[in-house]
This record gives sequence, C-alpha cells and structure tokens, in this order.
Amino acid sequence: MSLIALLLTLPLAGAAIILLVRAVRVRDLLAFLTVVILVALSIAQYTGGMTVRFALPHSLHTIFMAADILLLLFFLWRGMHEESRPVALLALLQLLLYLYVSGTDPQAHPFDIEVGYISRIMLLVINIVGGIIILYALEYIESEEMERMKKNGFIALLFFFLSVMNLIVTTDNLEIFFLAFELTTLLSYLLIRYRGDELARANAIRALWMNQIGGVAILAAMIISVKSYHTLSFDALLTFGSSWGVAAIAVLIIAAFVKGASLPFEKWLLGAMVAPTPVSAILHSATMVKIAPYIILKLAPAFTPFLSHTVTLFGSFVFMTASVMALGRDYFKEILGLSTVALLGLMMAMAAIDATESVQIVLVLIVFHAISKALLFLQAGILEKSFHFKYLSDFEYLYERSPMSVWMIVIGFASLTLPPFGAFWGKFFSLELLISMISQSPLYILVLVFITLGSVFLTLLYFKVLTRVLSHSTGKTEKVAIPALFRYSSYALFGLLTVGILLMSGWNGVGVFELLLPALLIFVIPLLLRWQLRSSERVGEYRCGEKDEAEIGAYYFALPEAQVRRAHYAAAALIALVLLGGML
Amino acid sequence: MDFSRYRKRSPWILHYNAGSCNGCDIEILAALSPRYDLERFGVLNSGNPKQSDIFLVTGPVTYRSRERLVELYNQMPEPKVVIALGSCTCTGGVFRGMYNVEDGIDRYIPVDVYIPGCAASPELIIDGVVQALDILEKKTKERENAKRLYSEPTTENGITDRSNSAQKIGTGGFSPEEMKPNSPERRENEED
Amino acid sequence: MNTVWIILAPLIGGLLYGVERIVRARMQGRKGPPLLQPFYDMFKLLDKRPLLVNPAHVLLGIMHFITLWIAVGLIITGTNLLFVIFVHLLASIFLVASGFSVRSVYSHIGANRELLTMVAYEPLLILIAAGFYLKNGYFSIELIHEGEPLLGSLWMLFGALLLVIPIKLKKSPFDAAEAHQEIVGGVEVEYSGVYFEFLYMAKWLEYIFVYLLVILFAGNSVMMAIVLVSSVFLLVNLVDNATARVRIPHLIAITLGIGLTLSILNLIGVGYGL
Repeated sequence: MSLIALLLTLPLAGAAIILLVRAVRVRDLLAFLTVVILVALSIAQYTGGMTVRFALPHSLHTIFMAADILLLLFFLWRGMHEESRPVALLALLQLLLYLYVSGTDPQAHPFDIEVGYISRIMLLVINIVGGIIILYALEYIESEEMERMKKNGFIALLFFFLSVMNLIVTTDNLEIFFLAFELTTLLSYLLIRYRGDELARANAIRALWMNQIGGVAILAAMIISVKSYHTLSFDALLTFGSSWGVAAIAVLIIAAFVKGASLPFEKWLLGAMVAPTPVSAILHSATMVKIAPYIILKLAPAFTPFLSHTVTLFGSFVFMTASVMALGRDYFKEILGLSTVALLGLMMAMAAIDATESVQIVLVLIVFHAISKALLFLQAGILEKSFHFKYLSDFEYLYERSPMSVWMIVIGFASLTLPPFGAFWGKFFSLELLISMISQSPLYILVLVFITLGSVFLTLLYFKVLTRVLSHSTGKTEKVAIPALFRYSSYALFGLLTVGILLMSGWNGVGVFELLLPALLIFVIPLLLRWQLRSSERVGEYRCGEKDEAEIGAYYFALPEAQVRRAHYAAAALIALVLLGGML
Repeated sequence: MDFSRYRKRSPWILHYNAGSCNGCDIEILAALSPRYDLERFGVLNSGNPKQSDIFLVTGPVTYRSRERLVELYNQMPEPKVVIALGSCTCTGGVFRGMYNVEDGIDRYIPVDVYIPGCAASPELIIDGVVQALDILEKKTKERENAKRLYSEPTTENGITDRSNSAQKIGTGGFSPEEMKPNSPERRENEED
Repeated sequence: MNTVWIILAPLIGGLLYGVERIVRARMQGRKGPPLLQPFYDMFKLLDKRPLLVNPAHVLLGIMHFITLWIAVGLIITGTNLLFVIFVHLLASIFLVASGFSVRSVYSHIGANRELLTMVAYEPLLILIAAGFYLKNGYFSIELIHEGEPLLGSLWMLFGALLLVIPIKLKKSPFDAAEAHQEIVGGVEVEYSGVYFEFLYMAKWLEYIFVYLLVILFAGNSVMMAIVLVSSVFLLVNLVDNATARVRIPHLIAITLGIGLTLSILNLIGVGYGL
C-alpha cells in the first residue's frame, strides 16, 4: 500500500520541487533521483507479486470532486476562449452529467485502489519507460528557446503525467478513473500547445474535444452503473453481466477507442506531433494511448461474444487500415504515430478475445511496443535537434553522420516485427491464437487476413524509413556528436529490449534455441560491422557507367482521400455496432 | 586451392555499346540465341560489370561514351578481359578520324582480343570469346588500370577506395585543350 | 541424419539449379550447360578480386544467406511451421535491407519490388500454415510428415502455394523483383565476387525451402512427395518458359486475389467440415 501511495505522490513531489529549482544541474540531479526511485518502486511493486487493495480516505474524495468540477470549468473556459464550439459544448455536457452523477449516492467503495497483475505490468512500463523519456527530456528542453520557468514547467508536467498515469492504472473506482482520464486529457492539451504557435494551439484544441468524447462516454457508463447497480466500482460492474452492465461496458469501450486514437479519432494523435518530441514519446509509447488496450483488457472478461467479435474485428481493421494510411506520410513522427494507432488496434483486437493466452499476449505487446516506440521517438527527437531532420525527404547522409542513430532506428523497427524481440512473439502468438479460434467463428478468418496484411504493410512502412536512413555509399563518415543524455537514454531503452528477449524464454514454450538463434543474427551484425573488410577494395555503385550521384527517395503509397473517408465510415460503423451490441 | 581453371568454365559477359551502329550487337544476341547456345559453355550475359569477367565492347567510342566506358571497366573485378568487337571498336573503322568519335577503345582501356568484321559474325564472336578465355585463365588478380580518364585509388585507414578512380572529363587525365576536336594534341595522338 | 541433410542443403539446391538449367534448355531445344555449372560459377566467383560498396551491405547479404540456411534447417529438423515462415521472412528482410543499404538506383528498385512481392506471398504462407493447423491441430512439421497426405483436403491451399513458388524462385511470370536485364538483377546488383556467392547460394537454398514446403502436402507418403516435387518442378519451368513477366501491381493483384480467395475458401471448408 505504501509503495502505491509513493508511486502516486512521489512524481507530484518531484514536479513541485523541480518547479522551484533554478539551477539546471540541481534540477537534472533531482529529476534523475526521482526517476531512479520511481523505477525501483515499480520493480519492487512488481516483484512483491500480491494484489493490493485499499480505500482512499473520504476527504480525498471531496478534493477529487472539486478537482473534477474545476477541470471541467477550465475546459469550458478554454472552449469559450479559443472559440471552439465542440470543446465548450462537450465540457458543458460533461459538467451537467457529472453534477448529475455526484448527486446520486452510490454505495461506499470497498476499495478505490486495486493493483493486480495487469496493473503491476502497466506500472513497470509507465515508470521505467516514462522515466527514461523524462531524462531525455532534460536535455531536449534545454535546446528549446524558452524561459527557464517554462522549461522547468515542462519537466514538472511530465512528472505530473507519470503520477496521473500511475493513478489511472491502479484505480478501481470509476469516479477516480474519470478524474484521471480527464487529467490525461488536460495534460496532453497543455503539452501539445506547449510551443504556443498557431498550429500547436489548433491541434491542442482538437485533441481536447476528441478526448472529451471519451470523458462523456465514461460519464455515461457511470450513470448506467449508478442507476442500475448503485456502484461505481469496476470490479462490481464486471460481475453483474446483465444487459445494463453490458451497456456500460460498451460505452466504456468507446472511451478506450478515443484514447487509443483508433480510426475515426486518429487525427488528435497525429496533431500531437507538433509538441516537443518527449511529449510524443510519452503520449505514444509509455503511457497515454496504452490506456486503450488496458481498458479493453480489464473489461474483456465481461464481454458478450458479440462484443468480443466486433471489437476484435474493429481492432484488426484499424491495424490494417492505419498501416496503409501511414505509407503515404512523409513526416517521421506522423509515420510513427500511425503505426502506433495500428498496433494499438492489434492490441485491442487481441485483448477483446476472451482467452487465457490473450492477456499475456497483449501485455507483452504493450511492454515491448512501449520500449520500441520510445526508442524510435527519441531518435526522431535526436534527428530533429542534431540534424534538423523532420521529414523523410530531409534525411540525407544520415548514415555518414551518425551511424549510431541509424542502427538505433533499425533496431527500433526490427524490434516491432522481427524475431527474437518481444513484440514479434506477441504477434506470433496472436496469429497462433487466432488460427486456433477459427473453428469458433468464421469471422476470425477475416481477422487473420486483416492482421497478416497489416503486418506486411507495417513492414513496408518500416522499410520506407529505412530506405532513407540506411543507404550510404563508400563515402567516409563525418560523425556528428550527439549529446550524452540523448545517447544514454537510447542505450537504456536498447538495453531494456535486450533484457526483454531473455525474459521471453520459456513463455508459451518459446525455446532458448528459437530465441538465441535470431538474437545471434541481430546482434552479430553490429559486432561484425566493426570488421571493416580492409582487404576488399571499395567500388562505386552501378549506374550504367554514369558518374553522377543518384538521388535516392522513399516510396509513397498514398491512399486516395475518398478511400480514407470510406475507412473512417467503416470504422464508425463498427463502433456503432459495438454500441448496438451493448444495447441488445 | 587454385580455382583459376574454373574461370574458363563460367565466363559471364558484360556487353557495352560505345556508339555502335547496332550491327555487332545484333550478332552478339544471335550468338547468345538457342541456335548457337553459348550457355552450354557456361556463358551468361550478365549486364552487370560487378559480376562479369568479359567486357565485350562494340562501337568506336563516341565522345559521350568515354567516361562510361572507363567507369564500367573500372567496376569490373579482376581478373577480367576486354574484347573489342567489330572493326570500329578495333580501329575506328569507317568512323576513323571523324570529329565526334575516338578511334577504337584501346585509347582508353587495354584490350586483350580484337575481333574484326563489320559486322563480326557469331562464329567469329564465339571464337574470340574462346581466345579471351585462354587469356583470362592466365591473368592475375592484380588491379588493371584504364589508360585515360583514370586516377589511382585513394587509400585511407588501410581501405582502398576505387569508386572515384574513373574520372569525369575535365577533372584530370585530360586537358581541356585535348578535348577540342582537331586540336593539335589530338592529331598528335592520332599519329601514335 | 538431419545434420547431414542440413549441411548438404545448399549443395542439393545447387544440383537442383543445375538440373533446372538443363531442363529449361531442353524445353527450348538447346543442349544447356553442364550439370555442375552452378558450382563452376561458384568456384569462379571465389577467384575474383574482392570489391564491395560498403561493409553493411555485404554483411546484410551474408546474413540473408545464413538466415535462409537456418530456415531450411528448421524445416528439416521439423519445428513449428509458423515459426519457420517467420524466420524465412527475417531472411527476406535481411535481403531487402541490404538492397536499401547502398545508394544505388537498381538496388533500391529491386529491394522495393522484393518488398512488394512480400506483400503478395507472406499472407499466403501464413494462411497455408493456418490450414495445416486447422486440419491437424498442430504446427509441428515433424508430425505433419508422420500424418496422412493432406493434399486432398488442402488442395486449394496447395494452389495458393503454386502461386508463391514462381515469386520465390524468380520465375516468369512473377520475376519482376529480379527482372534480370530490366533492373540488372535488382537487389543483387551491387554484389561481386565472393560476396555475390552468398546471394547465389541463397538462391539455391530458396529452391530447397520451397520444395520442402511442397513436400509437406504429401504427409508420410514418399511416392506422393516425389510425384509432387517433380510435377511442380516441371510445371514451374514450363510456365517460366512460356510466359512473359507481369508488372508488380498485377503480380500482387493476381497472387492476392486468387491466392487469398482459395485459402479463405479452404480454411472455411476445413474449419467447418464442408
């Protein structure tokens, strides 16, 4: 219990102190210490291995309630101030619904905080990967042109984010869950508009109103729950299983889709790319979007077969469509963003299958996707800061200047698709599970086809980036120095990936041989690269004898606008089907 | 182990047209066709200098094709042989002395076998290739250099880089004077 | 015994390639090269002066060969079919990465096409594995070899595999990835001498890999395996000699269109006992 309390409060304390400190050195040291303690705490919590449950004091509930109302008032004010009708209307709607809910009197919660197996894994991901991203942000934010206070504020916000995320994965109370959900919405709004320019503000507003749809959904679920069962507890909701319980669950699924930026809502996540890179990293990888598979995973035991099938179909459809959509993009972070949307689709699809294997599969996918995407986003930030590369078409002579970044990008992408990395095993066992489920419903054949096609399209997407970064001639390198914190945070994530491979052995009968073999292949290359093959002469590329240098571009398979719209309609139809499944 | 005897059994050909009238090229294709079936000797028309052993050149070397000729030659790994196919490739043929062509490829790269004829017949081509194979078997793996438009490869950290040893016209090996048609220097060369 | 087969795999592949060149020549009314021609080529390549563009390019090519060999080895030892397919995918990915690791136009076009062909055949291979699982309840190749021949019930998936074979072996009409004179061999354009040898041998291994997949359909019947392999071998070469190259978009449309339909029908049939 004290561990959880510390995990929730320590980042807040860290954030407060960092706001006050002026010296950069001291700030960095404090941040480093906080991160180390958080990592240690989350590991201790994981190895503790027990389900922890406790209730929060009643006084806290009053504070939470006040915070909720203040938050919604803030959204309302932002909506009026920025003249955004959706924001204002949604905020108003939420305010009314919330007042209605708080007017009812549900049964007292037996416990507000419940930390089970899934939550412990989520805590690990949030604190370790999030912590590394914060260390990286220390260096990153220094190179921005801002006042000292604003820079420290940025770091403080990131710590605050960790705290909120820790809360959201540990709470069992829908009311606290709603608060944490809204807080993540607030934080992403603040972080996205951090640079304060026109585009940042527009994108922040869009993120705000889209995420508020999720808030409305949660409030609707709360009302259904409180009206029919007089409770706001997640666990209780799952056990009822009657038609109203299913309706509440269906509505909560919508909240997950919104947070996970699934297909009709993917724009807010892509818009988040204007924010400083650590924000994209923390939004995408470690934390926020992972709420989506987390919610589905938590709700899955109570799914009806209809809900389970539709959510799986929806997830696999998003997986395939988002991968294809990403093929037409040029902005590196946008490519990473859409591939995140795709993989979240896969995670949600697998989470919705009510099988014992699926929980493990989804958790593995969550963990390794977080690490790989964090690694990739950190590289995107490094490219931006050290080389001023943002778009794929800018990437020129990267290998010559920084082979390390290139190999980190390669490893980052490889770890998402290839054996022996964890994400591969996640996908591998997903396929196995789906194939064994085919005899239960022919729908799974369609899901299987979507997922295999999606995987191939994602490979195509990764190579689109690799085309630009990997190609180099015989030319000599002119290395560019990369700041130490950037390097060390990348190495730390790389180390996590390596350790992760070892942890995979023994899972579902994955043999040591099957792990070592590809590991050998993947780690032998960087080692062999030291071997310069000095006895071989270097020769230029074959260009039909021409002496001029060839310009190498990346390929684009842009989907026509009409097709994208059709995909959005299809996704929206599937969501409507989910809702319908809840009503029946 | 000595593998040099296998050079003869698997000669891969790179065919380059340095401004030929296509007469000889058609004959080459004829020689490669099922009628003559060069494949029974392991001959392959690879079209890639990096995987070829025999450089089969047709044409009198027009101005435009000089750099490419040297570059292709340079990209072929040793041991390699060059065959000049057709009269104009050997001497300039009917184009000799014209303002826009060089007189034969041996001004630029060393030639091992000359096959005369306008156009050379498939039988002659096959015979020339067979003679070239004898030369190929005796060659060493030492680097062979082009005669012009060529500079020594650079070496750095013990790594030799020959990607820039075939030069562009105007960057050495040639003076701008020499490039002008009918310049005194050029005429001098002709008399050599 | 398995170890011996694994070590011999590239050599058998080389012989198969030699036989194929003769068969193709005979179909065209030619005599064709000697049976050991592929090995002569190999020895000659060993004897060339080593040239390379950059070490990463060469190493990725070597990795392609080694991984492919491992994939073949895994089939021979009889592990999980799905895993083998992914190891094979890893091998193809090494090849594509090597194609992209040089600043060469042809190499990039070749790697690009190689990737697009992957879009065409990878889903089919996975669905074929799914078919075996649905029929038997396991992915184990060893058990598949001990079981009854499955060609009867999985004949539509076998048809899908027939579409994949010309792509993997770079045969017309699906040889756009290599497209010899058109893009100078695609991915392999920048390799020379001893380094090219690895790609050359990888092609032989690809033969072994594909025909080992064909044998899976014969189950425990050796006769049927021999008949299947030889008839597929003749069919592929006949089609290679008789057809022209199709463009990549057509390749994907044909393979996915026909292949996916066949596989899905077969999966429904097997899954629901139709």
